[in-house]
Amino acid sequence: MEAAAIHALLTEKLGDAVLDVIDSFEKGSVIAAGSIAEACRLLRDEPALHFDQLMCLTGVDWDGYDESGKGKSVDILGYDELGRPEKSDRVGEGDLGVYYACYSSRHGHKYTLAVRVPRDAAQIPTVSGVWATAAWHEREAYDLVGMTFSGHPDLRRILLEDGWVGHPLRKDYVMPDQWQGVPLQGQDYAKNPFSEDDVVLPARPGQEG
Amino acid sequence: MSDKYVESTTPPAGYDPQREQWLDFQQDADLAELTQADSKNFILTTVDELFNWARLSSIWPVTFGLACCAIEMMAASATRYDIDRFGAGAFRATPRQADLMIVSGTVTAKMATRLKRIYDQMPEPKWVVAMGSCAIGGGPYFKYGYHVVKGVDFMVPVDVYIPGCPPRPEVLLDGLMRLQDKIRGRKGKLVTPKWVQDYASKIPDVKPEGGR
Amino acid sequence: MSETKVTRGWADQDKPRTMHSELLEINMGPQHPATHGVLRLLVKTDGEIVHSVTPYLGYLHRCAEKIAEGCDWRQWMVYTDRFDYLAPMNMNFGYAVAVENMLGVEVPERAEHIRVICAELQRIASHLIAVGTFGLDMGAWTPLLYCFREREEILNIFERLSGGRMLYNYFDVGGVRFDAYDGFEADVLRMVNVMEQKLVEYNTLLSYNKIFIERTADVGVIDVDTCHQYGCTGPVLRGAGTPFDCRKDDPYSIYDRFEFDVPYGTGEQGTVGDCWDRYMVRVRECFESCRIIRQAVAAMPGGDVMSPDLKKLVKVPAGSLYTRTESSKGEIGFHIFADGGSKPFRNKVRSPSYSNLHVIEKVGPGMMVSDLVATVGSLDIVLGEIDR
Repeated sequence: MEAAAIHALLTEKLGDAVLDVIDSFEKGSVIAAGSIAEACRLLRDEPALHFDQLMCLTGVDWDGYDESGKGKSVDILGYDELGRPEKSDRVGEGDLGVYYACYSSRHGHKYTLAVRVPRDAAQIPTVSGVWATAAWHEREAYDLVGMTFSGHPDLRRILLEDGWVGHPLRKDYVMPDQWQGVPLQGQDYAKNPFSEDDVVLPARPGQEG
Repeated sequence: MSDKYVESTTPPAGYDPQREQWLDFQQDADLAELTQADSKNFILTTVDELFNWARLSSIWPVTFGLACCAIEMMAASATRYDIDRFGAGAFRATPRQADLMIVSGTVTAKMATRLKRIYDQMPEPKWVVAMGSCAIGGGPYFKYGYHVVKGVDFMVPVDVYIPGCPPRPEVLLDGLMRLQDKIRGRKGKLVTPKWVQDYASKIPDVKPEGGR
Repeated sequence: MSETKVTRGWADQDKPRTMHSELLEINMGPQHPATHGVLRLLVKTDGEIVHSVTPYLGYLHRCAEKIAEGCDWRQWMVYTDRFDYLAPMNMNFGYAVAVENMLGVEVPERAEHIRVICAELQRIASHLIAVGTFGLDMGAWTPLLYCFREREEILNIFERLSGGRMLYNYFDVGGVRFDAYDGFEADVLRMVNVMEQKLVEYNTLLSYNKIFIERTADVGVIDVDTCHQYGCTGPVLRGAGTPFDCRKDDPYSIYDRFEFDVPYGTGEQGTVGDCWDRYMVRVRECFESCRIIRQAVAAMPGGDVMSPDLKKLVKVPAGSLYTRTESSKGEIGFHIFADGGSKPFRNKVRSPSYSNLHVIEKVGPGMMVSDLVATVGSLDIVLGEIDR
């Protein structure tokens, strides 16, 4: 089925919940946040669509995105050359979003759904009841971007430790310098050099792997 | 680098040289000359040297492969770059029976506490080899790695650093040999034979053609 | 004074004792010889039978997706190597194809052929490790050394080609970095000839070994519906009976020109979708890869290996796209969000092992602990791409 036909079918079944069409390199629809679970269930159960596989669930932080397409989005913060975290007072603004890339093994078509919610009300219903694989992908989106999913059976951090503060893939995330005693900053190697006796170079430079 | 960790060649606390006097051959000058350790004479002198030789000839690593460098460690223990000929082929799964921890791979914040725990479970004498650039100083994940410890020497004392990403198995074996020298007391300065130096100086510098 | 609860006292001695059992919590990992990397499995068992398995991830989370927002499009190719460090060429391939789809740049023919040859050789190398370590988990020490011996020969070819032994950074957006050396085709053909003989040797050594079959047949059965629900792809999905392969059903690069079959599990030794089926799919895929390599070498043209109209600083036009390619572990997907600049806005990596590992939560309960080790080994997970 063509993407336009899928969009038309979704608009017919869901009405106002379908907000916009995604017409960039991938084709899809933007769905209102509250009806995403219903939309996904429709995608899976409708015989003409039969999207039985969720290929990918991506959490996105749209903070500082350059809408004009010139690439002047905001820069992220890292560690400097001496290993100290770069600091900034900028507070993030903008929406958080989730993209669902679906595939049908029976018909062979792909489709993408997108959801966008404001930052301070970042909660959308879960789709782990539709595709079981979404459970872990949503945990990762919660962990890294900070999007909460209502109705999720086990919403806790998956890649970072349970007590981690902050959501790293946000654009205003400041790098930590330590976490529960484990140092995460670098060191100034000039201050603490190896002595000449201790350094033995290989016979020719570049003989490492 | 850090001096609060004791070298393996200094005697442990409680060592009483008076009590070990009957083993101290250096009291007897003729006997000392006869039994001095050099390349022509392989009669070992003090028990210390004997123990050092025993320790370096059978360093048993603990299986602590974290990431990509672990595959090169496995390749070093496979048939082409056999690590077993150095006596270090018996990788122990439990740290209680191991004396070397080859930290091969990136140490993350989540793994760091477990690494320290494994290190604490190893009995003395123990050594740590930091294999790969991630274990030395954070590696390619230095700048934006919020979850990466920038070098394993923040957690445990390291004896030998092996650079590379990943280091070839031969370089791992080279690092192992330097660790053996360090255990022997030669402070890591590998004596390269002259023929190896001559050969190495004749290898031409080849630039790869094409590409950027 | 608090109330102490007395469970059994002097007056109860005439009442019969009731048996009381509780679940045993075993912690496998993160440092464990049988988990393929730093994975922690919290296993609750009732004696020997597993009651629940909970994987704990993140011990190798290296923030690669955050790094993508800080470095260039081409610089990030280095990090794709380190996702699945057993099949870095496939990871490079996936990312290169993903960015090229958005850029609309055309890759020269010679580069496409070299890419396919490298990807298929890498698939063989990765499956060799899968086969070897799977045998090791079952207690067979010899196949691991044999597989490493063959893999060293493939790594020789890659080292002469790209300069690196294990992590190559060889593919680039728009082509490959260096041209093939003289004698590349002869080396590859010799390797393929040797490989086909050795694979027959592995079949004799391990695949049809009675003990191996008893340990892996009818163990860890994953059926097709579970695979689709949990997003399992690659040999896990094909072992369940569906011949789905991204190279055939969603073709990319020049795979539609080559003739090859897609092996899938048929329940030859037990049930469809058991560990033996997944293992045998990997061995048979090596034969198919040899076929593809022969065809690609025969058709290899001359020419340059890098697209000429690509600037040094790549700028991808704004938009988003999800592209998937077939890696040795399954379907590796890159969901790329671009804003028109020289740095990615968001690169999400959909790794096959992440979803493949998820299925152990469903399939694990009910089997014995040693069968759990066999199943986790047959899923062939790599923690580098799970944790990214």
